[in-house]
Amino acid sequence: MILPTILVLLFFFLYPLIFEIYTSFTNKTLSNDPKFVGFQNYILLLQNPEFITAVKNSIVYVSVVQIGKFTLGLGVAILLNQKLRARGLWRGLVLVPYAIPGFVAFLIWRLLYHTEVGALNIILQGIGLIDSPISFLGERDWAMPAVIVSTIWRGFPFWAIMFLAALQAVPAELYEAAAVDGANAWHRFRNISLPGIRPVILIVFMLSTINTINSFEAIWLQTGGGPSDATVILPIFAYRSLGNFQLGEASAAALSLVPISIVFSILILRKLRKD
Amino acid sequence: MNLSFRSQSSLYSRVTLLPVDLNLNNYRLAFENEFFIKSLINTLIVCFSSTLIALLFSLMAAYSLTILKYKGRDTLGRIIVIAFLTPGAILFIPMAVIAANIHLSNTLRGLILVYLSFLVPLGTYLLIGFFKSIPLELEEAARIDGANRLQALFFIILPLVAPGLISVAIITFTGAYNELLYSLVINTNPDVRTLPVTIVWLTNSEESPWGLMMACSAMAALPVMLLYFAGQRFVVEGLQTGSVKG
Repeated sequence: MILPTILVLLFFFLYPLIFEIYTSFTNKTLSNDPKFVGFQNYILLLQNPEFITAVKNSIVYVSVVQIGKFTLGLGVAILLNQKLRARGLWRGLVLVPYAIPGFVAFLIWRLLYHTEVGALNIILQGIGLIDSPISFLGERDWAMPAVIVSTIWRGFPFWAIMFLAALQAVPAELYEAAAVDGANAWHRFRNISLPGIRPVILIVFMLSTINTINSFEAIWLQTGGGPSDATVILPIFAYRSLGNFQLGEASAAALSLVPISIVFSILILRKLRKD
Repeated sequence: MNLSFRSQSSLYSRVTLLPVDLNLNNYRLAFENEFFIKSLINTLIVCFSSTLIALLFSLMAAYSLTILKYKGRDTLGRIIVIAFLTPGAILFIPMAVIAANIHLSNTLRGLILVYLSFLVPLGTYLLIGFFKSIPLELEEAARIDGANRLQALFFIILPLVAPGLISVAIITFTGAYNELLYSLVINTNPDVRTLPVTIVWLTNSEESPWGLMMACSAMAALPVMLLYFAGQRFVVEGLQTGSVKG
């Protein structure tokens, strides 16, 4: 029964992974006979200033994006958990960024950020906040914040929906009892809601972090990693190295994503086993 | 989105927030664009085939991992979770090389096979969550009554996990539809490009026709968005089963 799945895993998961680890220790290009070069690719990587920039950018990008998604996701979940009129409609609206295909969503953002026709520049100029248009994706100082904002926008619905479900699973009696005891809204949130959704927060955080560290399309579609290397994160770096046909180096770069992904995967596995 | 209704000239002459001369010209142009139509067809072929195969494989795997008992079952289950958690960003380089080596680059077949690499673990992982919620006794009863494993799976279990199957179908189909990285590195020939790659390619072309591009994007987004909202209940349930109940 499980045989087809094992075959898929063998040929399209294990084999590529082993192949990639092997390649990262060779000087393989597209056409040459690969020779074993030991850790040379990894040493080259660590000496490559663009790789170091990519690591730094990845850390900034992932941390800010995750904090943003968490805050926005939790805020929206709490709002949706109130007795709102047309709650179903609101919940549907929240799902919109998540339902739009990524390749469309990030192109829309690229257009919003556009210097001449972008809505953001038109609005900011219209209300007199800025005098001349800002090239959001074209200037070093603006590019990273710009891609961070769009990534948060695209990713927060997943968090909001998860948190909402978790909040709804918290027994209503707890709140009633707390209200009788005179607990205010903040205390009810701090002592009932938050502990109630803690397990969900952990797992959503881990799942989403793995995805964000490895996100390629968000940045590639908006800036391509530019201007210069201002928004290059690790997957973009690996893709750019592949473009130079230095397969050994590119493999080493892609594999540099593995340790952090493994740490989070193990945490998730542990969590799942406990449940 | 509103740019997709505007003509190229109005786009550059007067920059306004709301469309001035609403027209459907860009949509007509999109339908006349051979690249757009071609890649739409490619995408649909790839998505339907890979989703169907992935559903069948995951259904069998989830059955095996939750109902059958054998040595190494838990280890296999863990490997599947790890495969599900391993993103394309780690594997796209060897995948491109391997596809080229076995002459599957620039074919739709190749893309379907490569998509199985993430759709099958995803589908299995999600379906396990649904399988765990059904009573095992039903399957046992059916087997005692003389049904074999496959009959038990398709006649007893399948109807019970049908809602789960629908959510997994929507999630895997969308996953395949939106995939960009593998499609980018494996298929470079315009004839076998999928929709995301074509739209990106249109964006990066010289004149950068934003109106046309947004029309294409709007139409590209439509199928999955309809799918999402029509099946909203299933999608949300699937996401929650997958990541919370495990």
